[in-house]
Amino acid sequence: MAKNLIDFDELLERTENDKELMRDLLTIFREEFPQRLQALREAVESLNATNVAMEAHALKGMLSNLAAVEAAAAVAELERLGRTNETSRFLESFSHFDVIAKELLRQVEASMAGVSG
Amino acid sequence: MRILIADDELMSRRLLEKTMQRAGYEVTAVANGQLAAAELCKPEGPRLALLDWIMPELDGPGVCREVRKRKDHSYVYMILLTSKEKKEDVVAGLESGADDYLTKPFDPEELKARLRTGARILDLEDRLIEAREEMRFQATHDALTSLWNRGVVMELLGRELTRARRENKCTAILLGDLDHFKNINDTYGHLAGDEVLKETARRLVSSVRSYDFVGRFGGEEFLVTLNNCDPAFGFARAEKIRKTIAERPVETSAGSVSVSMSFGLLLSQEWGYMSVVELLHEVDTALYAAKAAGRNCVKLAAARAQVDGARELTPETVWRRQ
Repeated sequence: MAKNLIDFDELLERTENDKELMRDLLTIFREEFPQRLQALREAVESLNATNVAMEAHALKGMLSNLAAVEAAAAVAELERLGRTNETSRFLESFSHFDVIAKELLRQVEASMAGVSG
Repeated sequence: MRILIADDELMSRRLLEKTMQRAGYEVTAVANGQLAAAELCKPEGPRLALLDWIMPELDGPGVCREVRKRKDHSYVYMILLTSKEKKEDVVAGLESGADDYLTKPFDPEELKARLRTGARILDLEDRLIEAREEMRFQATHDALTSLWNRGVVMELLGRELTRARRENKCTAILLGDLDHFKNINDTYGHLAGDEVLKETARRLVSSVRSYDFVGRFGGEEFLVTLNNCDPAFGFARAEKIRKTIAERPVETSAGSVSVSMSFGLLLSQEWGYMSVVELLHEVDTALYAAKAAGRNCVKLAAARAQVDGARELTPETVWRRQ
């Protein structure tokens, strides 16, 4: 069984135990994350360091808000690579993040039903 | 209290919005720096702001710089939200005019505590402004009647005369003096005398337009300037003011006191380029004539050539009236 990528205790604390808000945040994440992920993928494939840094930064913010620490750390590394223009390491770093991202999305979908409003 | 939240990332915005609403703030949320700067630069805009560092159009430090450019507005307390933790980033943020910064993801309790710090500073600023305004009021107004004091009303008259000359308009200057005020004080006491002065001031203010000036010129003397006054109606307006003063007694703590006022009137257009002091001397002479004519009347200051006799009065004679 895959480990839990979202720290729900932390998320609940951050939302001050507001389960409706938590559900809102998960819904926004589910809608926005795939588009942002795709934008990052395109930036990585085109080796556009500026866009990699920018998109990775935006994803890092979303993931931090969701208390998804491991995913946030993985995308932070991509942001760093973008800022230092280390384009040769983009694909390797993105592949690592992509695996985490797919599992994270699956967990978000699964948890949506479990968070009552 | 109103607060502005500026963050291009929807999840952050939603989280901040809800946290702030729960803490009792009235929230305005925007998605870029330009909109944030526009909101904060409005005269009645929010005075607390949470600004994401990296935003499209204008970043958080850029918003701070825009807001700090305004010098004549209320202070806005701004907190930058950032994932930047390097010392040079923090220094750059604070030097842009931010008051504080908070690292994302934020802890709700820490955020609220920092905003309370901001609210305390804004409260302190409000109290300082209030104290300054109170001092300004005291320095420019008469303590008893709350009218402009002598220095200010003379200054206002000077400015108005300059403007009237430039635009070829007329300013009517009215110098009024309560009749038999010494008797009022002697008969009813000084407390009642003060009440008469306050009610006289109120009646004078109520009988002029919002852009005219009324000031307490001396003990029981009041100076009224009717700005942009049609000379054809100057005398009639002065008469109306005189009647407003005398139309009913003043109810004081010592009883009902009948009051009336004598007025000297001068229409600036008829007098060419004379100083404020010279014009006031002329209108004072007219006031003396009103007293001499039996009081409770208005006398118009006649043109210079016609008042040679009046100008021969000694200053002592002019100023010593009952």
